[in-house]
Amino acid sequence: MTKEKEYGRILGKFRSIQSAIFMAISVLVLCAVIIVTAVSMRYTRSSIFENSVVYTRTIIHQMTQNIDSYINYMDNIASMIAESEDVQYYLFSQNESSEYRKRLLSQYSTVLNSREDIRNLGILCEGGSYLFNEGIQVKNPYLDLEGQEWYQNAMASEEESSLTSSHVQHVIQGERPWVITLSRRIPNNLNDSSSGDGVFFIDLNYSAISELCDENSIGEKGYVFILDENGSVVYHPQQQQLYNELQTENIDIVMNAESDTVITSNSDAGKLYTMARSEKTGWTIVGCMNVGELLKNSRQAQSVYILMAAVLVVIALLLSSLISRNITLPIQRLRDSMAKVQEGDFETADVEVVSGNEIGSLTTSFNVMTHRIQELMEQNIYEQKEKRKSELKALQSQINPHFLYNTLDSIIWMAEGKKNEEVVLMTASLARLLRQSISNEDELVPIGQEVEYARSYLTIQKMRYKDKLEFQIDVAPEISNIMIIKLVLQPIIENAIYHGLKYKESIGLLIVHGYAQDNHAVLEIIDNGIGMDEETLEHIFEKHKVNYHSNGVGVYNVQKRLQLYYGSDYGITYKSRVGEGTMATITIPMNQEDAHETI
Amino acid sequence: MKQSKKWMIILGVFIAVSGLLLSLRIWSDRGERKTWSLVYIPKTMDGTNDFWTSLMAGVKMAAKEYGVSVEIMGPDREQDVERQNELLSEAIEMNPDALLISPSSFTESEELLKEAKSRGIPVVYIDSYTKDEIQDLTVATDNLEAGRKLGEYAAGLIGEDSKIAVVCHVKGVSTALEREQGFREGLGDKAENIVEVVYCDSMYEKSYSLTMGLLEKYPDLKLIAGLNEYSSVGAARAVKDCGAENRVKVVGVDSSQEAVGLMEQGIFQGIVVQKAFKMGYLGVKETVRMLKGEKVGKNTDSGSELVTPENMYASEIEKLLFPFDSI
Repeated sequence: MTKEKEYGRILGKFRSIQSAIFMAISVLVLCAVIIVTAVSMRYTRSSIFENSVVYTRTIIHQMTQNIDSYINYMDNIASMIAESEDVQYYLFSQNESSEYRKRLLSQYSTVLNSREDIRNLGILCEGGSYLFNEGIQVKNPYLDLEGQEWYQNAMASEEESSLTSSHVQHVIQGERPWVITLSRRIPNNLNDSSSGDGVFFIDLNYSAISELCDENSIGEKGYVFILDENGSVVYHPQQQQLYNELQTENIDIVMNAESDTVITSNSDAGKLYTMARSEKTGWTIVGCMNVGELLKNSRQAQSVYILMAAVLVVIALLLSSLISRNITLPIQRLRDSMAKVQEGDFETADVEVVSGNEIGSLTTSFNVMTHRIQELMEQNIYEQKEKRKSELKALQSQINPHFLYNTLDSIIWMAEGKKNEEVVLMTASLARLLRQSISNEDELVPIGQEVEYARSYLTIQKMRYKDKLEFQIDVAPEISNIMIIKLVLQPIIENAIYHGLKYKESIGLLIVHGYAQDNHAVLEIIDNGIGMDEETLEHIFEKHKVNYHSNGVGVYNVQKRLQLYYGSDYGITYKSRVGEGTMATITIPMNQEDAHETI
Repeated sequence: MKQSKKWMIILGVFIAVSGLLLSLRIWSDRGERKTWSLVYIPKTMDGTNDFWTSLMAGVKMAAKEYGVSVEIMGPDREQDVERQNELLSEAIEMNPDALLISPSSFTESEELLKEAKSRGIPVVYIDSYTKDEIQDLTVATDNLEAGRKLGEYAAGLIGEDSKIAVVCHVKGVSTALEREQGFREGLGDKAENIVEVVYCDSMYEKSYSLTMGLLEKYPDLKLIAGLNEYSSVGAARAVKDCGAENRVKVVGVDSSQEAVGLMEQGIFQGIVVQKAFKMGYLGVKETVRMLKGEKVGKNTDSGSELVTPENMYASEIEKLLFPFDSI
């Protein structure tokens, strides 16, 4: 409950449901996209690193195998030459050696011609015999053979070749190339010689190794280098720069690494090393990748993700605005329609039902409801009209029994006095009066008829009051056909008689004056009775003024009926002055079409 | 309704802007940088001279690594100041992004270099410099230090009163002046034993003949110091040819294959090796950094190392002594 309230409060902050829905969907989609993007970005980074490591590892292992087989190949050449009898005889025999020399040189040239990566090859022994390359090279006279690492390495191992990593070879006079040397001891198997063991060596230049190391690229800035077991550089693509202290390589980190991959730093400047150790050579082959490059790759992938996320968000926003519009458009239509209904406009209130969902059924219900309300309102109006009609009827059907009784009493008295003529006149007048009041199918009568009714009444009253009442009736013929509701004139006249003329000492005069004025029919009832003070005049239309002695209709009823029928612009107005008389004016419209309409 | 529209516009603009920035970043990552074009004028393009060959190799390597183009133009002979000035004028006409030069003369190129500066071409000195400070950068061996090393080592080779002769390369050149000064400082008290300083104008033959003259003139001469490759190798050749290697010890500055050979033969007792490759490499590297607007030191010392027959094949020294150009 409280939660719902809270949601309500949050949603209530938006001015419309549409914006609330829009925001809700947008926020949800945005969150989802951000989370997915963040996760995939994180995953991208780590997977790019992992893939790179796996890839590099594969390459490095492949390279290790290639280098091993390369060295093996050289080893085979070395053992082939070193173990040949020609070598034994050439190096250690005291005898003529030109034949062996010739055969050795032909072997040399076969090897040298087939391999461009062999810088030098040769045999020599401490005793002084040697044979290099084409046989024309001269041994460096200043060479300290026993001080040479490659020589020491060869002598240290029994029957195996040993490798000496990058060094300057100066065994041949006038040449000081950087090479990798594969050397092998040649044991002296001839017993007739006093000289010691010899050595065979092949100097390898870097062409084959650099080719091996460069054949697989690991990224644009990645490279492969080789270290020997001491951590000295065997091969490095930037060996020259390294040797000139222009570049550094993290050799310590690589040599002391516990696993086969090591990363120096996660920043752009970092390097990712992947190592493999070759059992054959004892070398460590290291693949180096630029972390910056990997980061760039992952950044590119991430950029794509972000771009996609942005596109998704834009699409989601468009869709959510569309969806929220679709959801709320019928609601808005409903709202607008309700506003119309509120203002009483039922005609255009019908709302088109678009779908069968909740809003659809709501709309249907609303339509049904407005129709029902419209019906009820029409019914209500009809009933009100009927009610007013019957009320009017009730009001006008009343004939005061006192008046009837008094009139009949007067007739009896006149009959007893044998006043036949008066009896006839009075009875005829009464009969007319009764007939007119009974015949009430029609609510409206022409003014002429109403005036006749008043004349009958006045005739009776004149006879009853004898010399005390005189009356004049003067109604313009153009209004005598104007319709007026029944029993309007008589109660006013009655009122004038009972309250004005009755108390007058001398003869009272009552004038009924009818004429047309400005599209109005005007009836004036003027008496010269005692008149009314202002207070009485003010309360003249109040209900309690109904006089028991009058015919029971009263001025209040007349006024009410007139205004019910013609509207509040019409009705009776009174003018009076104490001691001088009273004038009541009835005003009704000449053109009564409109008035008929409203009923 | 209005509110949601406003939000949508804000979000849309935000997304559009971030997308734009992102694509700009990706684009700029791929954007190519300007390739600088440099001109380097060494003292000589003599291919037999290991020092200059190595230095130019360094220049080329750095140019390749930093993606700049370098036009190298130099005289055939080292002391040819006139020719170098001609090339300098040519180079100025080419209007490079920077002018790298190893001036052969201490004074005679200054006019032209000032003109280059006035045209807005930065000037970088490699190895040597001129009397006036025209350059924006200098990359060179600390020649005082190099001379001092040589002097200190030489002092240990000879006795108290042993006579010393110095074969200098070109009179008035900054490197010669500084090395001689350093050499004297390194010798300490024994600097007084220097009997003569001669100038070979960076020619083997002249150095050779001058040394011959010295050996004749001072029969009890104990040490000859050559202050560059021409001077020292010329002197060593003379000593070797006279068979005087047991009598006279030779030390020098700058190595070559011949110098190494002479050292193997026991004629050279010590050589102070300049790091030529490094010098050339750093010359270009520092120039590029300066052009990029990075903060660079005005003077860069490329360093030097003393090589003796004992350590010449030691791993650290052989890396300097023998150019690694096998790849």
